[in-house]
Amino acid sequence: MRQIHLQILMLMVLTCTYTTWVYAATTGEQWVAPAQEKALRRAQAVVPMVKEVKQEGAIRRSQRLHALGVSVRDVKDSYFVLNSPFIKAVEDHYGAVRFNHGQHAAESGDCTICHHLRAKTATPAKNGDKPLETQRCSACHQQAFNPDYPERLGLKAAFHQRCIPCHEQRHKGPQTCRGCHLNNVPDHKKLVKLPDNADALQVTAECLRCHETAANDLQHSAHWLWRGPSTHTQDHENSVRHGKGTTALNNY
Amino acid sequence: MDCLVCHDTTGTYKKAPPKAGWPDKKVNLKYVAENVGHTSRRSCGSCHFNGGGGNAIKHADMGRNLLQPDPDCDIHMGNLDFSCAECHTTRQHRIAGRSSSVAAVEGVVQCADCHSNTPHFGNKLLDHHLNKHCASIDCNTCHSPVYAKCVPTKLWWDWSQAGDKTRQPVMQYFGNSKKGYPDYHVKKGAFRWGRAVKPNYAWFNGDMQRMVLGDAANLNAAAIELTRPVGSILDPKSRITPFKLMKGVQAFDVKYRTLLVPHLFPRGKDDTTAYWKVFDWDKAFADGMRSANLPYSGQFIWKETWMYWRVEHEVMPAKMALTCVNCHQSFRQEKTCDRCHRDNRQVDFKKLAQHVADLTSLQGKIPGIEALQQQSDYIDFKALGYRGDPVIYGGRTTTLPLGRSDTAPTDK
Repeated sequence: MRQIHLQILMLMVLTCTYTTWVYAATTGEQWVAPAQEKALRRAQAVVPMVKEVKQEGAIRRSQRLHALGVSVRDVKDSYFVLNSPFIKAVEDHYGAVRFNHGQHAAESGDCTICHHLRAKTATPAKNGDKPLETQRCSACHQQAFNPDYPERLGLKAAFHQRCIPCHEQRHKGPQTCRGCHLNNVPDHKKLVKLPDNADALQVTAECLRCHETAANDLQHSAHWLWRGPSTHTQDHENSVRHGKGTTALNNY
Repeated sequence: MDCLVCHDTTGTYKKAPPKAGWPDKKVNLKYVAENVGHTSRRSCGSCHFNGGGGNAIKHADMGRNLLQPDPDCDIHMGNLDFSCAECHTTRQHRIAGRSSSVAAVEGVVQCADCHSNTPHFGNKLLDHHLNKHCASIDCNTCHSPVYAKCVPTKLWWDWSQAGDKTRQPVMQYFGNSKKGYPDYHVKKGAFRWGRAVKPNYAWFNGDMQRMVLGDAANLNAAAIELTRPVGSILDPKSRITPFKLMKGVQAFDVKYRTLLVPHLFPRGKDDTTAYWKVFDWDKAFADGMRSANLPYSGQFIWKETWMYWRVEHEVMPAKMALTCVNCHQSFRQEKTCDRCHRDNRQVDFKKLAQHVADLTSLQGKIPGIEALQQQSDYIDFKALGYRGDPVIYGGRTTTLPLGRSDTAPTDK
């Protein structure tokens, strides 16, 4: 068994080295993912605040928009990220949240679930402009606890109060914090205490100084044990002994 | 325990080949440790992009091109900058995801986790039909109609040919690329490579049947399947799913019928059994099987082996997906949607049904991709157990209505 393990390990080690080398050789100009880049830029924009909203009951508004023929077909951008400066100005614990706008519009079938009110007059006000039926969340929800608008939720609360109950009631989409939010990793330059010529064992010991639980978790994982539950292998559904380090066969 | 290999963000961390897992002496470990962060395509890829001993050799849909991917090769990573762990969600270092080749599973990842079971939206005429397809067709059947789109992968690996020190490799080329792929390596045998390959389609319910170490094989079979998708046209949970079928030739014990494990890497200078040192299969098998605690009779036979690897990554942009007419040959005929729907002057049925995928941005990038537009019966309905085009003969759950088939499909 050790033999197989060693062979795989050697193969991995060889290829890992090669990867690093190729990567360094090919990184020239800055690569960007176009849609993500666009969404991140858009999330930075701050729009003028809607000061007054049209008072309209939820059902009446839903019926009126349906009668107008407003539907998922009117969705111009199907992908956003939620990463507003209004929230970042107060706290910065998490990365941008992906939001599939088109999918949400299609699943709910009713724009007014999120776009629950609209501006009374066009914002920014221009002569003859009709107010938009739907605007981005941050057109109304900006800083929290703004004394000029005591009835308005801040943007963070608006997101959470809209997203969480809906995901929970419909049993759809992420229902945990980490399902939407990837935490920012704290700057480890301030945390890591290592000598300049630290060796591998010193590094691991230093990681474990804080992350002992993580280390314990890892040692129970398939990536450490090279075996694990084979719940989706026919006739071996109840076993935990199969894996790359134990019984896996292949033809390469 | 090596935290850095997964949590390095600097790209400077690497292991040293002769040191079996220890980092290279040149790496500034303090610098790497001070810059740890979340895993990335690069850190996961440092192992997983190299399965089989090199870039995309084993996993046709995972290669180093995903470090800086073209959106046309992978819409999630290339257009939206997804990392691996955003889909392969992790809890307590247990990483969700099933593998076709390895049995260990720590959670399931499905397209529907984000896209739901009704992923086609827009209230367009087609969406209702496309969403109905989701019950019987895996997303990637349409959304990744070819695998190894951007880099070639190995399709054939004949170990029995290894050891011929006089044989010169012949290079295989793809498209306009000057990079050649050798058909032979003295240590590993003969290969065949493929690029933009049409997958094999099979009914799949999420489980695999697999041979594990020590299992006896049927040596009379023309080819021995090391893994095979479990599923059937009659199983409502099965869906038509694309697979890379990796074929090869490997040695089996004549008496015990087990797949033999060779000892390949020399342990040191005085190793006398490693195949990559002495090029003697008998010695390599005897040593390898001893290490695996399995019997070896001393007699072996070369047999063809097949492995099914699911094509799960490198989803293409929606505009490049297979269209109706790619599979439903009947739509090339006079009647299209109007077989069932009353003719409607506001909708051009023919245009709708005979629409072809927009592959313009792929021309030149993927050799021969344009041919896809002209394909019909792409997934081969008869091979999957249908009597023919389901538009004519009925689907696996529809039988009588609307002049369709009165014969249920059979399990092949």
